[in-house]
Amino acid sequence: MATVQVRYIVHDVDAAIGFYCQHLGFEEVMHPGPSFAMLRRGDLRLVLSRPGGQNVGGGSQTADGRMPEPGGWNRFAVEVEDVAATFERLKAAGVTFRGEVIRGTGGNQAIAEDPSGNPIEIFQPVRDSARLSPSS
Amino acid sequence: MADPLDVLRLPVVPIQPRPAFAAALLRRIQGRGVAGARDTATVRYFVDDVGAAVDFYRDLLGFEEELRTPSFAMLYRGDLRLLLSVPGGSHTLPDGTVPRPGGWNRISLRVDDLDAALTALRRAGARLRTGIVQNPAVRNVLVEDPSGNPVELFEPLAGYYERST
Repeated sequence: MATVQVRYIVHDVDAAIGFYCQHLGFEEVMHPGPSFAMLRRGDLRLVLSRPGGQNVGGGSQTADGRMPEPGGWNRFAVEVEDVAATFERLKAAGVTFRGEVIRGTGGNQAIAEDPSGNPIEIFQPVRDSARLSPSS
Repeated sequence: MADPLDVLRLPVVPIQPRPAFAAALLRRIQGRGVAGARDTATVRYFVDDVGAAVDFYRDLLGFEEELRTPSFAMLYRGDLRLLLSVPGGSHTLPDGTVPRPGGWNRISLRVDDLDAALTALRRAGARLRTGIVQNPAVRNVLVEDPSGNPVELFEPLAGYYERST
């Protein structure tokens, strides 16, 4: 059961559904209209909202007139066993990345972009404490 | 005459070895699961000040602090693992682009009483990006952490849907 919810703002909900389900192992839970969808992957529920409207939901314009938009740097992570292999595979499938594989302290990662330019972290832990494991 | 205890005797069923199951169990025990089979969802936010961010998420939103360095922290709230990273260092892209806080993508935390949660946040000086927005499924609001990252709080209403499987 999905217990963690993340909202991404996307320009094209259908394109985003295709991207997340085809490349990253999500499944569609609901897509009641063109401006919203709910996807799931393990414990992560990803809700996709199209910007626009007032008081209509997660993509709503703010009261002072600001419009949500895709992009930024905050993201959810998808853990993989081999980030280099995943990077090559997704790149061959036409997925855009921000730069190359990045080496870090707890693991190595690559930042993929969905069709609206939102980042997704493809993460390979190199240190046990960085794993998403149920271990101690 | 049949033995009355026969009803208690189970037929012998040979157990077929399931190598895939055994391997998955071993990986899980050893903390080496496969992608997609995890129990924890991970989100990374960029923050300018790790200490201020940890205080905010721990004291106002119920996160637990797992570890902290001057440039990184790991927090937990239920099945959510939130990583807080200071921009720069290994996060700088090859072309020199440095990540920064902000944007509109966000974690969405369920609360039972949005008004009460909002009152507590306001009292603590938290900034709000929106007022309360309501549709048939939820009432929600966007608050900002000290670095300006959005956090969505939502309270389910009658039209709320949650998959139960």
